[in-house]
Amino acid sequence: MTQPARHAAMLSISNGGPNAVAVDKQQSQHIHTQSQSSQGLRVPSNRKTIYDRHLNRSRSAELSRASFAFLFAEMVTYAQRRVTGIQDLERRLNEQGYPLGLRLLDLLYYRTMASSTSSSLSSSSTSAAPPNRPLRILPLLHLIHGPLWRLLFNRPADALEHSVSPETPNEYMITDNDPLVNTYISVPKEMSMLNCAAFVAGIIEGVCDGCGFEAKVTAHNQPTEMWPGRTIFLLRFGESVMEREKVLERAGVK
Amino acid sequence: MAVFSLIIINKAGGLVYQREFQPGLRKLSTNDYLVLAGTFHGVHAITRSITPKLPLVATTTNPPIAPTTATTPTPNVTSPSSTSTPTPSSSSSTYTYPNPGIPATGLECLETDKFRLTCFQTLTGTKFLLFTEPTMVNIDVVMKKIYELYADFVMKNPFYQLEMPVRCESFDRNLQGWLRGRT
Amino acid sequence: MSSATKASRIGEELWKTRVDKVNAELVTLTYGTIVAQLCQDYDGNYQEVNKQLEKMGYNIGMRLIEDFLAKSNVGRCANFRETADMISKVGFRIFLNIAPTVTNWTSDNNQFSLIFDENPLADFVELPDDGRAQDELWFSNILCGVLRGALEMVQMQIEAHFVSDVLRGDDTTEMRVSLVRYIEDEMPPDEE
Repeated sequence: MTQPARHAAMLSISNGGPNAVAVDKQQSQHIHTQSQSSQGLRVPSNRKTIYDRHLNRSRSAELSRASFAFLFAEMVTYAQRRVTGIQDLERRLNEQGYPLGLRLLDLLYYRTMASSTSSSLSSSSTSAAPPNRPLRILPLLHLIHGPLWRLLFNRPADALEHSVSPETPNEYMITDNDPLVNTYISVPKEMSMLNCAAFVAGIIEGVCDGCGFEAKVTAHNQPTEMWPGRTIFLLRFGESVMEREKVLERAGVK
Repeated sequence: MAVFSLIIINKAGGLVYQREFQPGLRKLSTNDYLVLAGTFHGVHAITRSITPKLPLVATTTNPPIAPTTATTPTPNVTSPSSTSTPTPSSSSSTYTYPNPGIPATGLECLETDKFRLTCFQTLTGTKFLLFTEPTMVNIDVVMKKIYELYADFVMKNPFYQLEMPVRCESFDRNLQGWLRGRT
Repeated sequence: MSSATKASRIGEELWKTRVDKVNAELVTLTYGTIVAQLCQDYDGNYQEVNKQLEKMGYNIGMRLIEDFLAKSNVGRCANFRETADMISKVGFRIFLNIAPTVTNWTSDNNQFSLIFDENPLADFVELPDDGRAQDELWFSNILCGVLRGALEMVQMQIEAHFVSDVLRGDDTTEMRVSLVRYIEDEMPPDEE
């Protein structure tokens, strides 16, 4: 399992709310020994730090779609320079999305929590009322299909399906008819298998792993005449997840 | 009003894109298109250099919204040279033209009984050549939209290399879709 | 009307009417993951990360300029002061919905600073507490490259670098931009 390594790798730069202070233990110890002990981070005198700003301030903020497209395109170009083939490229894009999934999961919890408690009681009760973390696969998939998609793309995904094959009960599919990340991308003919939404697959994988549902997620082209960019995200849950699923089902956990 | 075809010429005068939008148009060989692009590029440069103060054959009807406080309102005036800028004289003379969005020099329009060729050169030096019916109006609107589609589906495509031939399937699709939707 | 006011108006109008939007957090997080990846790939060599970010920005700038021109429909600037307003009030507005302050001009009008009160790229970012990042990493260095690439395409060679950043504990975030020269290759000789 490569999971621990991935977690460690993503924390070298902290970006995005709840995970922001996490720095890999080993790394910081290592650095402590080689430089004089750091006094912690310097902060501006006006204290414009991440701790002084509300986590929801960017909740409904907008930026230009073009900026995203240019950054994403450059991410793809950069990844392309260091890979051996299409699969390798998709793997790298997946890896770049993965940490986003971990972070977004916390953000989603935080926000669903905030909205559910604001209607009931005072804000002091937030810590006492933990959000409903998905325990079963289906609620997890709904979290991805709905809230996650809305947070990222301002709309839910287009479909959610379970594999019909009895041999692959661990496979689920989430469909996006027109993935935002691919809007401006035309993949060259010789790379026709490539789908840059592997980045989004990585985000999904991060969310699944962060929830304790070990999974492999891949993006596949499934064009239709109406939706030339239609993409299926295939989620394959691990053995342990499927076994737990059975136990929970018998126990009547929803 | 029919748009017949589009040609895009890169900064160096190379043909990077050519598409027809009407069935039954007479096709040239690839080589002829290359020659056409190169020739036009050359003629464009020459017309620009021989008559830098040529009155503009204005293809845009809307006034420029450039932040040019010293813009002269009418074409065909000599440079007011009132620009107290440290910029080289050449670029300040370009700027004094009334439509700075389109470099003021160089061939912009070529017409026959049967078609009109309109050239739009971006500030970065890329040329869009549009072949239309001679009576077509609002070519500037079409040109602007094509430039926007180019900025979206060519420039934001990580697999497109600058200055190289444009092979972007979604550019073709969106361009054709938009042109079809117009008629 | 000053060119700054005019540029402001153009920028606001474009942002409201012509710019397709996405969730800001998607952009912020995507940029964050790019920087994090570079830090990993270059093994914490922040100088190299700065360089790579600048290079990425340069690649973006060469393309982004077409989007800027296609959307804004603005013409060539008369001088570098106008260019500065155009960058701040139109460029930054339509791409990042901010308008950094243009200030600290040199007397020859060839150098100015952009002061960023807001920086969406660095929203919710904290640099690693490793005793080096705050001294070495310019988190938003991609922006320097974007300016260089974009302006080069419209015949201006410039140099841009950050001189301070709130992420480093500075009180402001400031980028210094200098005009090196106007590139004249395609320009016809003036006939005056």
